[in-house]
Amino acid sequence: MNADERELLDGLQALSSDAPYQAPAYVEDRLLTEFRRRSKLRRARAWMSAASVGAVAATIAVLLWIGPLAPRHAASPADATAMADETTAGFYPLPDAEALPPVESAMVVRVQMPMASLELIGFPINQDRASDRVEAEVLLGQDGLARGVRLVE
Amino acid sequence: MLESPSHSDDDLLRLISKGHEPAFVQFYRKHQRAVYRFALHMSGKTEIAEEVTQEVFMTVIGVAKQYDSKRGSAASYLYGITRNFVLRSLERERPYATALDDADNDHGASLASGHDLLSELTRNQQVESLRKAVLALPPAYREVVVLCDLNEMDYAQAAEALGCAIGTIRSRLHRARALLMEKMRAAERCAV
Repeated sequence: MNADERELLDGLQALSSDAPYQAPAYVEDRLLTEFRRRSKLRRARAWMSAASVGAVAATIAVLLWIGPLAPRHAASPADATAMADETTAGFYPLPDAEALPPVESAMVVRVQMPMASLELIGFPINQDRASDRVEAEVLLGQDGLARGVRLVE
Repeated sequence: MLESPSHSDDDLLRLISKGHEPAFVQFYRKHQRAVYRFALHMSGKTEIAEEVTQEVFMTVIGVAKQYDSKRGSAASYLYGITRNFVLRSLERERPYATALDDADNDHGASLASGHDLLSELTRNQQVESLRKAVLALPPAYREVVVLCDLNEMDYAQAAEALGCAIGTIRSRLHRARALLMEKMRAAERCAV
């Protein structure tokens, strides 16, 4: 190694030690805020999926238990839409529910859920009580997937 | 669960994918310095380094589940992501070389601030001049200088981080240092 190279490496060493050593603290704060937001969303989605599966299983069990119902007159598409609109009224739509097919026949299941989950769909909540549970009704579509939720008064 | 600092990156990334906050904090604190310094030395701008650091770890939060340790270490995985974000930022900042003397190029200013001893002035000028020379290198040469000379990686680690052969790192570093010496000599001649 010649003198020029030695001088260059010394200079690079000085440049390296002069640079700030780490990102400012607010970068970590922002990342943690985002991490918490995504974790909440993930938990809420998992919970909603579990609720949907549970509700579908319960419905199937009830239908098997009561046996086949007598056939009723077939509803027209207009009747079905009107019925669905009437049923879905008052429910707050869940994130991603818009991407699901429209509700043709619905079922409402009453459940207990953590208040933190309500925050994700726009309910203002008291953060001190985020871990409390509240009673709510979940609207399930014909495919068993949750479309909306409303609080039970 | 994370009181022991001996958790591997694999474990931490697996926990992060499950929403484990302490794992994310530990992973961030372990790697943020390398990511930040790489972005800072590559761009010369603290705001880009901060933005890139944030974007890199935001990406980690989103795709931690997809990390596969068989394809390389977490450090090289992070360098790969960081490199992409830095190169994207540099593309946006084009023409980059003309921006080296801009007033908003605050890295040099922040480094110089607070050093009011006359004896350090010359050294600071040399460091500043070298910093500009590094920033004026083509990105392919700049990144090997940043990794090997400024972030003290060995050739094998740099090769893994950049996804190329060790021989490529060695030859690029050799060429980059030659270019830097040329620039420094030219700068000295101008100063005289």
